[in-house]
Amino acid sequence: MRPSMSDYLFDKTGDDPAVAELEGLLGAYAHRAPLREPPPREPRRRRRWLAAAAAGGLVAAAAVIVVVWRSGGGEGCAAAGPGFAFSVEGGPARCGGGVASRGTLPVGEWLETSSSAVAGVRIADIGQLTVFPDSRVRLIGTGADGHRMQLARGKLSARVVAPPRLFVIDTPVATAVDLGCAYELTVDRDGRTLLRVTSGVVSLEGHGLVSYAPMGTEVVASPGRGPGTPVAGDATDALRAAVARFDGGAPSAVGAIVEVAGLRDTITLWNLLSRTSAAERATVVARLDELAGRPASVRVEDVVAGDAAAIARWREALEERWICLDCFERQR
Amino acid sequence: MLLALELRAAPAQGRSVDAREATVAELVTASHGGNRAAFASLYERFHRVVHAIALARVPACDAGDVVQDVFADAWSKLTRLRDPAAFPGWILTIARNRAIDAARRQRPVDVAGDLLVDPAVDPPPRLEAAAALRTIRELPETYRETLLMRLVEGLSGLEIAEHTGMTPESVRVHLHRGMKLLRERLGGDRAVQGGDR
Repeated sequence: MRPSMSDYLFDKTGDDPAVAELEGLLGAYAHRAPLREPPPREPRRRRRWLAAAAAGGLVAAAAVIVVVWRSGGGEGCAAAGPGFAFSVEGGPARCGGGVASRGTLPVGEWLETSSSAVAGVRIADIGQLTVFPDSRVRLIGTGADGHRMQLARGKLSARVVAPPRLFVIDTPVATAVDLGCAYELTVDRDGRTLLRVTSGVVSLEGHGLVSYAPMGTEVVASPGRGPGTPVAGDATDALRAAVARFDGGAPSAVGAIVEVAGLRDTITLWNLLSRTSAAERATVVARLDELAGRPASVRVEDVVAGDAAAIARWREALEERWICLDCFERQR
Repeated sequence: MLLALELRAAPAQGRSVDAREATVAELVTASHGGNRAAFASLYERFHRVVHAIALARVPACDAGDVVQDVFADAWSKLTRLRDPAAFPGWILTIARNRAIDAARRQRPVDVAGDLLVDPAVDPPPRLEAAAALRTIRELPETYRETLLMRLVEGLSGLEIAEHTGMTPESVRVHLHRGMKLLRERLGGDRAVQGGDR
């Protein structure tokens, strides 16, 4: 970008005829309508225990962050350049090789929590992380184009409000790409990664595979194999066992998955469409069509042939089942 | 602060108040209690960013409906928002989800849909405007919304930052990178021959 004394595009100082012409052209679309009369408020509904538990979890996580943020004392881990502010509660943590209870995590440095410590980390201006005990995270990079962290081991929860793909977390075996909202990541000593999406959508990527995981789903990524096939959080043991066999390298397990899959498992079936051979895919297509239907614009032969555009169109139709309206409370 | 107290003092009466000095959190708190004037002030502050988010995904003729749906939804669910200061991120998330829903259900985004806007709009958009809008929609999502907030809604970079929670520097970078891409893609259009800042 060329330096300039004025910056009409940003602050309307100076002039830029090309931008002004576009403004004049596109200004016809500016929104001017007044607010319509809002409808009467819905009475608060009784929440199911699961929704209450999920909401309680979010509040607890927020409370941890607030408590952590307000706690004082301790030496800082200073960052000369860009970094993420953090604070620790409940025990010691190491940052940049020293003990720290609060400070700024610089790019390239690790934050490591002890067995009793919980750290709150601000993700620039787009969200926050809670890093649970016995965890090790690193800030890889941060800037206007995005923010990247690494979870080497342990557990964290992330809550992000930003355009898709702006925040990513690498684990030893996969990369979690935020497509909006909230999730948990756990990495065990072998690097095995568990993703639980609590709100919005996350893409878990690696080894040439992409797992599309909307709220309420879980994905396991394993060393040498990358992200597995997402399953609903309330999937049956039979479905989980069949998916584990498939992800472990047994294509024949597709038959078992199809056999036990119910309406809640459409997310599993859809993800299988891009992981199976044409013959296996045909059985998945038939079951998915049977369970959830198929838009007229999605032809069976295209999906069976592995047409990525057709598979994406089907996902768009299915998403109404998977994603809540407002990201903050599960759709009933 | 006096204004905020006034808003809280008459939470459900819906009377007209001058809420220009109130913070977003104060307006949300008052709206939470049923104060429609406070909610109308929130609408005044956020309807343009919500519209830009909608316009990034649906035809112009449908974007206005998305805005109204978003605010109707926000009004009915406001009591679920525990942290009033989180309202900007919350309303933007509702807007994105509503717009995505609308894009799935409604007509494909095409030039016709972008020429059919509110009849009260004077002058109506020209074909070149529809083409420019379509080109912006084809830009990476990161830049699309920010450019529409600036070029369509006329918000300054600082206003965009204030309403989206992005830093001013992020907004500046998104605007310039998005504009550079837009210029490249609009190619020979005389509207895009200016230099890159």
